[in-house]
Amino acid sequence: MQITDRHIDDFKSDRKGITPPLPMVLRLVPILFYGSIAIAVILSSLFFLQFRLAIQKRDGHKAQASALNAERDESKTQRTALEAQIKRATDIQNWVESSRPLQPLVVEIARSMAQKSSIADLQLERMPDDPSQIRLGIKIGTDSTKQLDLTMEKIALLDYRAFSPTREFGRGELDYKAILVRRSSKQAAEEQPPTAP
Amino acid sequence: MNHKHIACGVIALLILALVQTTLWVQNHRTKVQNEAGAAQAEEDAAGAQLARERNQLANLRRQSTDLIEFLQIWQPYFTTIDSPQSAEIAMQMRVKDADLLNLKQRYESIPIKNSASIPSTLRALLTFEDDYSKLLNWLGKLETSMPTIRTTSVRLSKGTRANDLRMEVVLDQPMLKDQPALKK
Repeated sequence: MQITDRHIDDFKSDRKGITPPLPMVLRLVPILFYGSIAIAVILSSLFFLQFRLAIQKRDGHKAQASALNAERDESKTQRTALEAQIKRATDIQNWVESSRPLQPLVVEIARSMAQKSSIADLQLERMPDDPSQIRLGIKIGTDSTKQLDLTMEKIALLDYRAFSPTREFGRGELDYKAILVRRSSKQAAEEQPPTAP
Repeated sequence: MNHKHIACGVIALLILALVQTTLWVQNHRTKVQNEAGAAQAEEDAAGAQLARERNQLANLRRQSTDLIEFLQIWQPYFTTIDSPQSAEIAMQMRVKDADLLNLKQRYESIPIKNSASIPSTLRALLTFEDDYSKLLNWLGKLETSMPTIRTTSVRLSKGTRANDLRMEVVLDQPMLKDQPALKK
């Protein structure tokens, strides 16, 4: 059996609106949705790029800081080693400056004796606290104090000055004591080094 | 509330989620940017410290040039004799070679205060009785051939024989503490 279109239309009941249409404001929701998707994608991409750049910068700065710290530590190590060398050099210099030979002094004192004078006893002793200072004690068999002046002149020629002198003269013997200090016009560092060891 | 309202609500929630995600990414970016700023400050501080350290090192090098040169010249003399035994042997040999009348000889190790590099010395206490020129020539030669030696005390008095002198001498040979080789 055939049913014509007209008859079918006749069977269809009128459809009533189940839900009322949305208010105008809520119709903006899809527009907002698409807009927010676009804005979120753009902003997120921008932020992500900035994020990656910031990570690169941070890592670069950290690596550079580490390299600089390593260089600083190396420099500090070199400075510490140099300070140790300076300390060693200072100790050695102090030793050398306070160990000048005494033989020339003894020889000059002996040579300064006039014909009628003689050394009964001669003692040169370095001060324990400051070995560059020398305690001189000499007993000269002489009949005049001129001999002492002559001896002190010879000592002065070797760049030594006498401090705190005491002298006793009696029975043809002169007892003289003093502390000899070298004039520090010439430091050991400036002087000619000895021959090769 | 109908299904259209529900759909609107769902979409609004999706929008909120997108905003939250964007804010989350932004927060992370800000956090990493702050870390990058801190790292840059750290790098600047490290650079300043390095410059200061280099400056100090350069100043120290400049100020200590003469002293280091002095050390390079003199250190070999100190390291030649590296033990009390070798110092004792060196002195005994010089006494023997000079053929002096040696009345007494004693060797002892003496600690030194306030000198980290030279913590001790070998002290030789020697007594001779011989000719004046032989004694003083020997002392002069000893002070020249062992330039690091210190004549701590020397006493000359008349000897038992007419032309002889009695010489009591105290000599100190420094013992250098071991240290790494010099860097030029």
